[in-house]
Amino acid sequence: MNVARYVARRLLLSGVVFFGLVVLAFVLVTVLPGDPARAAAGRNATAAQVAEARERLGLDDPVLVQFWHYLTNVLQGDLGNSVFTHRAVLADIADVLPSSLELVAAAMLINIVIGVPLGVLAAYRRGRTLDVMARIVALLGATMPVFWLGLLLQLVLSSRLGLFPLYGQLGFGERVPDITGVITIDALLSGDPALFSSALAHLILPALTLAASFIAVIARTVRSSMITSLDADYVTLARATGAGELRVVVRHALRNALVPMSTILGMQLGWMLGVTVLVESTFSRQGIGAYMVDAVLQNDLYAVIGSILVIGVVFIVTNLVVDLVQLWINPRLRDGLAPARPAAPEAVR
Amino acid sequence: MSTSVATRKRRRIPLVDRIALIICGLVLAIAVIGPWIAPHDPYAVNLSQRLLGPGPEHWLGTDINGRDVLSRILTGARTTLLATAVVLAVTVVIGVVVGTLAAVGGRVVDEIIMRITDVGLAVPSIVLALGFAVALGPGIGSAIIAVSVSWWPGYVRLIRTVVRETMQSEFVESAVALGVGRRRLILRHVLPNSLDILYVQVTLDVAAVMLVISGLSFIGVGAQVPSAEWGAMIAAAADNVTSGWWALVFPGLAIAITAIAFSLVGDWLRVLRDPTLKQEN
Repeated sequence: MNVARYVARRLLLSGVVFFGLVVLAFVLVTVLPGDPARAAAGRNATAAQVAEARERLGLDDPVLVQFWHYLTNVLQGDLGNSVFTHRAVLADIADVLPSSLELVAAAMLINIVIGVPLGVLAAYRRGRTLDVMARIVALLGATMPVFWLGLLLQLVLSSRLGLFPLYGQLGFGERVPDITGVITIDALLSGDPALFSSALAHLILPALTLAASFIAVIARTVRSSMITSLDADYVTLARATGAGELRVVVRHALRNALVPMSTILGMQLGWMLGVTVLVESTFSRQGIGAYMVDAVLQNDLYAVIGSILVIGVVFIVTNLVVDLVQLWINPRLRDGLAPARPAAPEAVR
Repeated sequence: MSTSVATRKRRRIPLVDRIALIICGLVLAIAVIGPWIAPHDPYAVNLSQRLLGPGPEHWLGTDINGRDVLSRILTGARTTLLATAVVLAVTVVIGVVVGTLAAVGGRVVDEIIMRITDVGLAVPSIVLALGFAVALGPGIGSAIIAVSVSWWPGYVRLIRTVVRETMQSEFVESAVALGVGRRRLILRHVLPNSLDILYVQVTLDVAAVMLVISGLSFIGVGAQVPSAEWGAMIAAAADNVTSGWWALVFPGLAIAITAIAFSLVGDWLRVLRDPTLKQEN
């Protein structure tokens, strides 16, 4: 398969998944039990207001017509209005998304900095104490309830030991200029080092909590592809040429693990954004996860479905980018020798 | 794990896996008899006994409403595990039917089914489940439906892959050569030789599904107050983390220990099914 055809097919697939996502969202807002007109008009609306909302939303139209309206609205960025904030859902999400992206970026950094070396060392010292310890760390990370871990870290590190702020994104009374919406970056831009370190201190525990369940998966992925490549002929050859052990492991063996690694990391990015629903509220962060939880508890249908669409789109786009980046990392893919992307390991769910 | 592969006797279950098996058995037993062995009434509010630390009367302490934490954990095991079991049963059935259809139904059917699973896998299960929970209203029933809806694509993919592999094997070719009908071929020859992977995957998934179910209850859309569901117990304890750590720590430990035990048993079953994995892991 040549590059152009591969890219075209990949783009088409992303489009199909996006379309499916909109169908799903449409089913959730219109077909399932619950009256969308009432949801849109608000809980205390009068019968006349509900009827007006029904008319405005076109709920008396045939389903296909309704779907067409829904699809065109979504494509124009209209995800409906939040009953609670009385604003467009997309505008609400645009306000909270930077905070979540900051959290996900920090968690991803922790994930890579801990997970990748853990996987490399486990593969290198296969079957030894270090490997067993890496397995235990991975097992604990994957089986601990995320929301519980967050509370435990709060209890021990913040409340008992006072090492980190308990919750929030900044200290009491601290403010940053609203430049990018990302608190740490804005704090940095404001040129106040104390403000920046405060923002960072508030970020560490939630990021660690979010990263915990993902480290296991990336460490396992790196470990198993490192085991294959460490046994490969080209690694033996590299050793025979007298290359140093570190160079052999990092430049030769790890390089080959890059493809499965980037696939998993790409998927994890989208999933992390979803798992913020279990982390942000605990730490009183104002991101899309906390927004979604509030919306669910207030029965704010359009806000919930809008968040699902946004998270889904982020997932689709990151996977697309990862696949295209892999064309560049892995020349075999360009020549059509390698099969398409590997299947996702079940654990990422 | 601690003993090397070479010295381990054949068919002897490693110590860690034996402990994990025992814990799994215990947890399942508690899910059945938990309410009867609970030392106190899990729902009896007693404000004079609130937030007592672990002691001889209340082994794991009491919560903010003076309810015995141990009794609530023992009673709640049923809610959490039953919900998990229902989700897995539903998704396995869908997975086998739809996955087989994808594997043997021809290119068009396969393509359609695979694109639908793509959609399901494009949104993290907890997020998709929140969408269904808000559409269906809160409650453990909605949580079960919500998680099932987000969980089946994984099983469809798994079964599709395994059935395709089985279709390539020699005995299937021989059966075809003998003139076995398509329906009989699939039901009598292909499926019975494909589905053993389910033991492994279901065991491994117990932990993951349980985490999502309790996560939903933690958020407030799964099991409702005053249910003794483990995630809901953590949510209730979260508001007074500093005054009574036990009400938070023990339900979480119950989830974590159960999840670890099922994961270990799942891994053990996986290696048992395919011993070549032993070298790799």
